Amino acid sequence: MAESYSESAAEADEPFLNDRKLKLMGIAISGTFAFAVAALLAAVIVLQVDFGLFVEIVYPQFVDAFVIVLRIVLISSVLSVIAGMLVGLGRVSETRFTRAISTGYIEFFRGTPLLFQLIVIYVGVPAFWPPGTFPISDFSVPAAIIGLTLNHAAYIGEAIRGGIGAVPDGQMEAARSLGMSYVQSMREVVLPQAWRNALAAIGNDQVILVKDTSLLSVLAVPELISTFQEVNSATFDPWTPIVLVAILYLVITVPLGKLVRYLEVRADPAGSQ
Amino acid sequence: MSRAHDASLVEFEGVDKYFGEAHVLKDIDLAVDDQEVCVVVGPSGSGKSTLLRCANRLEEIQSGDIRLGGESISAPGANVDRLRQRIGMVFQSFNLFPHKTALENVTLGPRKVRGLSKADATDRADRLLDRVGLSDQADSYPSQLSGGQQQRVAIARALAMEPEVMLFDEVTSALDPELVGEVLEVMRGLAEEGMTMMVVTHQMGFARGVGDRVVLMSEGRIVETGDPERFFDDPDTERGQQFLSRLL
Repeated sequence: MAESYSESAAEADEPFLNDRKLKLMGIAISGTFAFAVAALLAAVIVLQVDFGLFVEIVYPQFVDAFVIVLRIVLISSVLSVIAGMLVGLGRVSETRFTRAISTGYIEFFRGTPLLFQLIVIYVGVPAFWPPGTFPISDFSVPAAIIGLTLNHAAYIGEAIRGGIGAVPDGQMEAARSLGMSYVQSMREVVLPQAWRNALAAIGNDQVILVKDTSLLSVLAVPELISTFQEVNSATFDPWTPIVLVAILYLVITVPLGKLVRYLEVRADPAGSQ
Repeated sequence: MSRAHDASLVEFEGVDKYFGEAHVLKDIDLAVDDQEVCVVVGPSGSGKSTLLRCANRLEEIQSGDIRLGGESISAPGANVDRLRQRIGMVFQSFNLFPHKTALENVTLGPRKVRGLSKADATDRADRLLDRVGLSDQADSYPSQLSGGQQQRVAIARALAMEPEVMLFDEVTSALDPELVGEVLEVMRGLAEEGMTMMVVTHQMGFARGVGDRVVLMSEGRIVETGDPERFFDDPDTERGQQFLSRLL
């Protein structure tokens, strides 16, 4: 016992990685990374971006695309959170049938690619009408909204289920003991806490939803990627529209991340986490 | 018994409860009278908490009947939400609502269930928080309170529904020893005002000093029931003697 102790103590004298070295390595790695990115950005901006073209394509082409993306994101976002709430509640239902249906829903929409689901809706749904009689003349944006909503409702449903599962059973028991019904207990006690628990995962999913709009290029929705392709094939300039696309995605996703963080703080008035 | 009792408020009749294969309550017969303080003691796993949880139907029973003021709460069609309004429950782990202040914890039930206005509910909650000595903590969140304070808020929350009977499920077991007294003090006050209480506890001093009757449970059965003085000085049963000897 004493022997093995002294042996390991001797080894501990010269560890390959001590705390100080680890810290320095972290700084070195992130510094190198930051330098490389800065160099690349500088090279792109100085050598590749054609500012004349940049100004020319910003408006109306990219602003239009951005507005379409923003509109689709806002609508799908609200609808997917509402639908996801229902799916999540279904997942924790005391009724076996409701639980099974919710589980099946999640399995399908998480288990098949979003691109496939979009195609099913865009191509498959109008096929139920005789050729030429489908009532919606441009189905691409509605199909996009339906597809994004159904798909993300599955992920949000799982997040909500996890959030509800993380609320201690005693919360429901205490609420029911006061004579509150299941619905009242859920609404007043369990869901506000579940929502807080699920917020980070929901926010994460909403950021992914923004990026998933890039798939809508296959539905001929004039969003950012298809606009990039248009500009690129007309001008053979890759980097000018690339920079613009990057900026426009980040203009949505970065504030969205901040909004989620704000909601998380607001949902936790006691500041316990 | 130390007081005259005219009517049974909570009645257990031939109650059997299983958790899967485990038979945790065996043919329980017990009647708690109006204004009586019934203290349930016994070793861990003897079924005392389960007994209490069955009384407001947090647990289902498999046979027998449990009645509150003559009305069955264990029957299949029982209006559980309405009956539970007449039963206050306090838990070992407090179970305060962490996203609500102490005041909001106390007003929630009266507002949502009794339909009290915010002003009326707040008046009532102010009185109750004052009574448990926490009027200065009305706007604190549970995470900002000590265990003893949280448990006193939980008692106020239960009292806010103006229940006919209060159930206390090992309410001091999760507390630091120096915080136990403040909670027992509140319970003692309630008992003196004539609240009907069922108290599951390991606090034998409380059982003896405040209880009108002690019920000893062991392995899912009630093995002895009687006057606290007599139970603690000279239990009738061997099981009772055994239980007491282990406490010393």
